[in-house]
Amino acid sequence: MDRRSFVRLLAAAPLAPALPEALPKLKVVSAYAPAAVPGMPGPYPGRVVSVRSEKSVDTTSNAANADVVREMMARGLCALTGERTAPQAWRRFFAPSDVVGIKVNCGGHPNVVSSYEIVAEAVRQLMALGIPTTQIYVYERFQNQLDEVNYAPHLPEGVTIVAAETANRRADNRGYDPATYVEADLFGEEDTRSNMMRLVTQKLTKIINIPNVKDHGATGATGCLKNIAYGSFSNVARTHYRGKSHTYSFVGTLASVEPLRSRTVLQIMDGLRGVWHGGPFARTRRYVFYPKRIFFGTDPVAIDRQLLDIIDDERKAHGAISIYDRSPQYLKVDDGAARDADPNVNIIIREPGHVEYAARLGLGVADLARIKVQDIEV
Amino acid sequence: MNLLLWLAALPCLYWTPAVDSAPRLKAAGIDRLCVPPARAEQWRQAGFAAVGLSEADLAVRDTPLAPGIRVRADRASATRSPWVDANGWRFLRDPAGQYAYDLPAGRAALAAAEAAVYGADAVLRIDPADLESLGAMMVFLAQLPANDLPDVADLAVVDDGSAPLGEVLNLLVRRNLLIRIVKAPSPDFGINVKLGTKEYPLREAGEPSALALKIRRQLTDEQRALRVFGSEVVIGRLASDGSRARLHLLNYGGREIEGLRIHVRGSFPRGEALVAGQGRVGLEERAVVNGATEFTVPRLGLYGVVDLSALE
Repeated sequence: MDRRSFVRLLAAAPLAPALPEALPKLKVVSAYAPAAVPGMPGPYPGRVVSVRSEKSVDTTSNAANADVVREMMARGLCALTGERTAPQAWRRFFAPSDVVGIKVNCGGHPNVVSSYEIVAEAVRQLMALGIPTTQIYVYERFQNQLDEVNYAPHLPEGVTIVAAETANRRADNRGYDPATYVEADLFGEEDTRSNMMRLVTQKLTKIINIPNVKDHGATGATGCLKNIAYGSFSNVARTHYRGKSHTYSFVGTLASVEPLRSRTVLQIMDGLRGVWHGGPFARTRRYVFYPKRIFFGTDPVAIDRQLLDIIDDERKAHGAISIYDRSPQYLKVDDGAARDADPNVNIIIREPGHVEYAARLGLGVADLARIKVQDIEV
Repeated sequence: MNLLLWLAALPCLYWTPAVDSAPRLKAAGIDRLCVPPARAEQWRQAGFAAVGLSEADLAVRDTPLAPGIRVRADRASATRSPWVDANGWRFLRDPAGQYAYDLPAGRAALAAAEAAVYGADAVLRIDPADLESLGAMMVFLAQLPANDLPDVADLAVVDDGSAPLGEVLNLLVRRNLLIRIVKAPSPDFGINVKLGTKEYPLREAGEPSALALKIRRQLTDEQRALRVFGSEVVIGRLASDGSRARLHLLNYGGREIEGLRIHVRGSFPRGEALVAGQGRVGLEERAVVNGATEFTVPRLGLYGVVDLSALE
């Protein structure tokens, strides 16, 4: 191999919390060195700006208001950076030479996906900085999901909308970098590697992460960390199987792999809509709710720590079991139909502790006492 | 295996239609047949290498599974892997055995490749709709360069002839754990699997998947001569003398795989692939590190062969 390799073994020892079972051994292989200031947690560790607007989304039609979203984004970015105008705020993160990826989330189609209005506003701001559309990529792992959501009519011509695989069928690997991966034998699966997307390793210089506010059957909730991690690597569904989830350590480990960690410089969590059960899917509106918020930061852990409470509080409001509940009585392994029908059914023991684990990897701040949340009402 | 043996080892299409179907066979590239004995001479006169094979001859042959995958409908988990129906373990266990596949539509070409990879004496009863795809595969198989390299094995399995061990063998091969089947423990291997011993109690064969995993973890992935990344439905067979290697790759998944990553123990800076349906294909993103070689096969249909060389 004619390149430098950074191989890390992340196992139990100093990072491992007290768990009844040993964490799996995760081997990280990457030739990329971290940036002087990695994008995660970036320049604002422990900072979260939460912008809420009652007018941001029509709960009857599920449609967002583009003008309100634009205002929310400007206020949020300015508050985060301390700049007076949106262009100045965006300039803190991006330069005209950057090739920018926007990691969206399409898994909650049709009800809870990265909003067209947020994605379009991000593209507009990047273009205003002088970044040509040919240097802007909206990406996901699966093309069929991107096709369903169909961002194209909402974006300027020239923006590339691209996925690594045609669909989740484990047959298209060419979109992944064979030299950048995390290796682990979790359940005895034969393919033990999860490879980073080539787009991330070979093309992008910066990434904006736009996840949703969603419940998740394996992680408890899915926000910044899981969207950027599981949305940028191959072969990740293998981490949760027959009631057990290895997401506790896997999510943060993936997010910490270079160059993903260094290049993901801005987190914009779309909380206009959310799903409090059955996530990451939202095929019906039964479990959809409307926080009407957008969260801004560079620290994915701090934002996701808020997310855990948002999802858990919403579940409690509906009389559903907590995302922290590990009792076997609510576990119906692999019974997706029962899970969809009853919010008091888990199909996997959830691992919301993945957020705290990510903090231990240096990706951000999970301690609520050390997180500063700035609330803004528009 | 030299060229003549290799050609002789190719599977034989069992064909019952009358000799007026010869043009279709020729168009498909098939010139070697097994036919009912009464028609053998007619077929020979029509220019085919025809071998007479009676119903009784067929009846004594073992019937392998139709190769392919089955998605297990009883599993709803996101990480479920398809169940692979493969016969390599049978052929390894009984190299002198005789087999007659009975194949539904869509399986003939893969069955032909599978039988050829393991050098099985196999007859193929096919759906006539598969004639063209089978013919293309037979032409590909016949054109492969001869190869006489010895099989690579990471561990030995002592064959007691039992059915439970058969399923263990199946799962070992299925997981690309390279085995040598022996009559008694072999000093050539650090791991000798013998059912009924303290290390491998008979009861463990009742959970063959778990036993195969136990064996894999005893060996460790780092010590394995072959790893396949990017698919769980590709089974490899590796032969090498240290300076050259040949890797057979059988894709049981039914769809083309793009970017299959292969890890082979040994330093092989040179190599290329011959892929059914594509011909000669360059290996991509090759790397030799720590005594192992990695490369990507850009696209793999049903079957491909990778020839590697240690020569710079």
